[in-house]
Amino acid sequence: MRAVARAASDDDRLLIERVRQGDQDAARTLYERYFDRIYNYVYARLGRVEDAEDLAIDTMTRSLTRLDLFHDQGVAFSSWVYRIAHNATIDHYRRQGRVILVSLEHATLPESSDPSELALQQLSNEELREALRQLTDEQQQVLILRFFQDLTAVQVGEIIGKSVGAVQALQHRALASLERALQGKAMQ
Amino acid sequence: MRPEGQRLEALAERLRGVDPVLPSPAGKIRGWNLVAAAVEHSAARRPRGRPAWRLTLAAAAAGVLLALGAVSASANSLPDSPFYPIKGALEQVRGDLAFSPSDRLGFHLDLAQARLTEAEAMIARHRIDLADQALVSMDEQFQEAADVVAAERRAGPALAADLQHRLQQAIESHDRQLAGLQGEVSNPTAQQAIVRARDRAAQVLEGVANNAGNGNPGGNAAGKSQGQGQAQGSGKGSPTAHPTPKK
Repeated sequence: MRAVARAASDDDRLLIERVRQGDQDAARTLYERYFDRIYNYVYARLGRVEDAEDLAIDTMTRSLTRLDLFHDQGVAFSSWVYRIAHNATIDHYRRQGRVILVSLEHATLPESSDPSELALQQLSNEELREALRQLTDEQQQVLILRFFQDLTAVQVGEIIGKSVGAVQALQHRALASLERALQGKAMQ
Repeated sequence: MRPEGQRLEALAERLRGVDPVLPSPAGKIRGWNLVAAAVEHSAARRPRGRPAWRLTLAAAAAGVLLALGAVSASANSLPDSPFYPIKGALEQVRGDLAFSPSDRLGFHLDLAQARLTEAEAMIARHRIDLADQALVSMDEQFQEAADVVAAERRAGPALAADLQHRLQQAIESHDRQLAGLQGEVSNPTAQQAIVRARDRAAQVLEGVANNAGNGNPGGNAAGKSQGQGQAQGSGKGSPTAHPTPKK
């Protein structure tokens, strides 16, 4: 998936044009190219297989049926798809009445003898995902896109509408917040 | 204690090592079946290319339409069409024939849906100004529908509750549609227009709920003034203003 994540967008353009002409094979290729990535993104956000599947399908349906709204003006198709996935996720939260999380940047956490030394390798992937879901919406988005989806800061900036510098700053704060969340978990 | 930079880099490295979660093969196939059906449906609705013979045919068809009267041509016209004002006259006639509260509510909800469809089409054609006008008109129709509900509360509370439910469902359904659209458009002006439209509709919804709670038979004055305020500049006299005059 990581290699695919860097897939060229030139090829996307040709496929998009073919989908616009009603070519199902081209739609299938784009679906195969993006479905797993979007599913992985949504799962990281929601943590529920059923919801992740539904939202990934919804995202791909919207992406491939509303190509009239996609105008290739410096924004890659992949970024557009991630934006749709992000909005679908936010809408899902809204429908579920989920409370928007506050930042952990200034949270007070329990003291320990050496809170900085987290046993990272002993943490399971799911524990990491759970801790990540305690971050703010933007922080989750940046960490998932940067490290789970293996996108560059430039690509992430395009998706969330921020400069590269802002993405890097956000990434730093997000990692610090995640560290605090993990420390808090370790203290429990 | 290690310096923060090193700790965070180690954490970043650990995140990079998290295995991706993949969908089940069955889920992926189910997804493709649903997506393929939607793509096929979408392609069937999409206008195809326009070779010369098709343009000639269209010109001939236009002549026939003119001969029959522009009425039929206006039925599905969009705000950037010269037939669009005629559509308003037709809608007005239909509104005049809606006598029962249920019919009047249905009339306004239908028009709200029509305005939303027009807004989507205008966004796709980069006519954000017209899309904004259509969205303002959509919310005005919701407000008109809310007034129907409010008026009915005096005469028949049971029916009013049913009408209110229909209105709420319609507004919620439109909001979901707008939320999806908001995520799809890349133009910031269009996004702002959609956000404003959702806010206005939410105010109407809130007004209806408040009136129901207070037993207030009157309309939602706040929502109404909001809708009218937003409509300023959309130009009642403009050839592209929303077609149906207020009743």
